[in-house]
Amino acid sequence: MARELDKKEFNTIFWRSFTLLGSFNYERMEGLGFLYAILPSLKRIYKDDVEGLKEAEHRHMEAFNMTVAPSPFVMGLTVAMEEQAKEDPSFDKGTINALKVSLMGPLSGIGDTFFWGIFRVLACSLGASFALQGNILGPIILLLVFNIPNFLTRYYGLKIGYGRGAGFLDELTSSGKMNLFTYCAGIVGMASVGCLTASWIGISSPLVLNIAGNEIIIQEYLDQLCPQVLSLAAVLIVLRLLKNKVSTMKITIGIIVIAFVLGTLGIIA
Amino acid sequence: MSLIQAILVGCVAALTQLEGDWLGECKLREPVITGFLVGLIMGDVTKGLMIGGALQLMWMGATNIGPSSGLDIGAGGTIGAAVALMTGSDLEVAVAFAIPVAVIMQMLNIMKMTAFSTLMHQVDAAIDEGNEKKAIFIHYLCGFFTFSIYFLFTFIVLYFGSNVINSIVESIPDWAMNGLGAIATVLPAMGFALLLNLLWDVKLVPYFIVGFVAAAYLGVDMVGVCAIAVAIALIMFEIKSVQLNAVPAAAIGAEKDEWEDD
Repeated sequence: MARELDKKEFNTIFWRSFTLLGSFNYERMEGLGFLYAILPSLKRIYKDDVEGLKEAEHRHMEAFNMTVAPSPFVMGLTVAMEEQAKEDPSFDKGTINALKVSLMGPLSGIGDTFFWGIFRVLACSLGASFALQGNILGPIILLLVFNIPNFLTRYYGLKIGYGRGAGFLDELTSSGKMNLFTYCAGIVGMASVGCLTASWIGISSPLVLNIAGNEIIIQEYLDQLCPQVLSLAAVLIVLRLLKNKVSTMKITIGIIVIAFVLGTLGIIA
Repeated sequence: MSLIQAILVGCVAALTQLEGDWLGECKLREPVITGFLVGLIMGDVTKGLMIGGALQLMWMGATNIGPSSGLDIGAGGTIGAAVALMTGSDLEVAVAFAIPVAVIMQMLNIMKMTAFSTLMHQVDAAIDEGNEKKAIFIHYLCGFFTFSIYFLFTFIVLYFGSNVINSIVESIPDWAMNGLGAIATVLPAMGFALLLNLLWDVKLVPYFIVGFVAAAYLGVDMVGVCAIAVAIALIMFEIKSVQLNAVPAAAIGAEKDEWEDD
């Protein structure tokens, strides 16, 4: 039987979790936001132990950083562990932070794949295609497509995190389901990026060469080679640079300068 | 631009930050949203949406993952759309303003996040004093400070800078317009490469090809490609699940054999 948080406390953590990035900084990152979200629970757990409460508050002021949508899962987990720590004096409180830190990487990885790689891309491309026609459905669809998964992940994350705790993650990881899940999400993500590359960059060349009286339209030859070949090439070149750890700032500036020059010269459009 | 319009557009810029800070990254910062809101304020919703949509494509892959974020698309999109609507110009002008603003505001953001680090020691002290209210106050103060910067920056640029903006827009030569248009065309490549990098797994490359070919050769749109990809993902999930379930059983079988050999 899964444990459940008191309705009021659940709602408090749920809504407070939305402010996680509110005081983001380079030293503790989302630390203060995390503490703020679970503060009412800590106060309940340590209501008769002033020193214990301070200790716990300091514990959750430590650096924490994670994609925001899955973070309520960690909050639920943390509250459950703090309860355990209070009941059982032999419980090593260090494990609470160790677990938090150990979840930062994997949950952010999955969170980024789903929220930045899939939901945002899908929401924004649907939203943009309506908006380009001046259709007011654009912003509405964008918000719905992104936020329905966003809310559900937060809600069930918190519920499962508290109720079933670390066991749930262990089960998923050890059975290999977690990897499989990420892999299958990656299929949808990669296919969407492939589609975006083909349909929404649209680099073309207006160059027309005049050789011995014959007009040679460069773009026609490029299209015969492969439609959208310039867009594909641009994406693959940037990917190559990213893999070689060139900073995104340098690449962005490089693109702006090169594109501006080529555009001005009429080589690309 | 009237005083009230400048104030309202300033609020939109602040909202793009409020979204990340207090509203759980619910995507109000995306150019489609800011373009719509700015259009509403400036009295031309259709054009606002269209410019927003075009900026959205340009920044489709602008992913702010972790502290190593690249561009502030919230403020950039808001000011870009506002300038285009204010001067009655097209996408090129929006791009000419959106990009510099996105870069400048991101630098400001980095300074802000560094400055907030020092406040965290105040929180530590507050905890020692048992003063949780102060800790919470600091948490909200950071957000409030951010909104104020964004509001003031946008308001001042648009309200007091409108003459300067107008003269800049008028003096942009045609050849530069082509260059700006080219930037808007090429910049999505950066974003899509970032997304590819995020999702990268050599085993997933075939699906990138499927998506590309479906769109480039067959003209399938985004929803169609996603539907195909979801179907493939479900099939792969089924196949791999069977394999996963089979592996432990085989392992147990192998173990048994060893026992029997003993």
